[in-house]
Amino acid sequence: MDDTLLQISIQPGHRIAIAILSLLLVGLVLELVRRDYLKEKYALLWVATSLTGLFIGIFPGILTWLTHTLKFQLLTTLYALSFLYTLGIILAFSVIISRLVERNRVLAQEVALLGNRVRHLEEGDDHV
Amino acid sequence: MARVLVIIPAYNESESIADVLDALKRHAPDYDVLVVNDGSTDNTSAIVKRMGSADIIDLPFNMGIGSTMQTGYKYAVAQGYDIAVQCDADGQHPVEQLSRIVDGVVAKKADMIIGSRYVSDTAYTPSIFRRVGKSLLSRLVDSVVGGGITDTTSGFRAMNRAVFGTFARTYPDDYPEAEALVIMHRHGLKAVEVPVDMQPRQGGQSSIGPRRAAYYIVKVSMAIFIRMLKRITHAPDRGESDTAGSDLVEKTESR
Repeated sequence: MDDTLLQISIQPGHRIAIAILSLLLVGLVLELVRRDYLKEKYALLWVATSLTGLFIGIFPGILTWLTHTLKFQLLTTLYALSFLYTLGIILAFSVIISRLVERNRVLAQEVALLGNRVRHLEEGDDHV
Repeated sequence: MARVLVIIPAYNESESIADVLDALKRHAPDYDVLVVNDGSTDNTSAIVKRMGSADIIDLPFNMGIGSTMQTGYKYAVAQGYDIAVQCDADGQHPVEQLSRIVDGVVAKKADMIIGSRYVSDTAYTPSIFRRVGKSLLSRLVDSVVGGGITDTTSGFRAMNRAVFGTFARTYPDDYPEAEALVIMHRHGLKAVEVPVDMQPRQGGQSSIGPRRAAYYIVKVSMAIFIRMLKRITHAPDRGESDTAGSDLVEKTESR
């Protein structure tokens, strides 16, 4: 497969579509942050994703270069990239959820222990 | 004299909890008792409060045996107990033999004494999966920890403050007994076992059904393996003085 074949695989129309979709994603993310549906901390992840998409839309050469270097077909490159990226994001979420679960556990235990102390204080015994 | 706290984790144990508390009052009047109610949907909590012989902590929702026991250990640390005992609410653990496991810890024979199951009642026949699982697990734990403990999943155990202080910081979520032995080993704490006679369940449902056996083995084996790779962030509190008065809000190490 030579370079010309690779180049025509991403047509100008497609590049524009990729860029527009990326910009729409940026807009959506910013709107979600503005409405407090999304924390700034996690919005960064999505802004970075959108900007990557925009970058590829403007400079599709990076995809063809990667395809050529890896001796892949263009579709395989796209598939591999998006799969790895999605996997990375899901793993990041698992880490975030695990931290939330741990904090939730400590909080529930503290609430229960404090509830016990409050009951003893209200009953006026010398246990506490 | 050593202050002893018997911690009873309870999830929907209204059928048996009263008998267990009665037995404790009869056979172990010198020990304080704490029931940790793991979000029961029956009247377990009301029964304990009405009887008045035990203190009770109500968890806001069902959290599993590990988090339930850890709540008890945090309480024991905050209240400055010397010895903590885990005892099931379903009546399987022989309360009249409590002193056998507690006295061993008082006499400093080990940091933890485990009452291991030698079931005399032939009506108790655990499923083949459960028996194979427990035997595999015991071998795995023994190969890591040593000391020849045969019943690593027994929840009838007494421990000193070095142990429950460590557990108050880090304790597994579910099926914690075997992994807890590995945590102790990593902190240089020693466990030995003594045989006790166990009773068949008086009521309620076992928390480990045969269907869960596969999950049980995989989860605990992996947890033990990972536990061996984790860094130790706290030295166990070996001090005899009461330094643990206000540990209620101490940070808990994430696992």
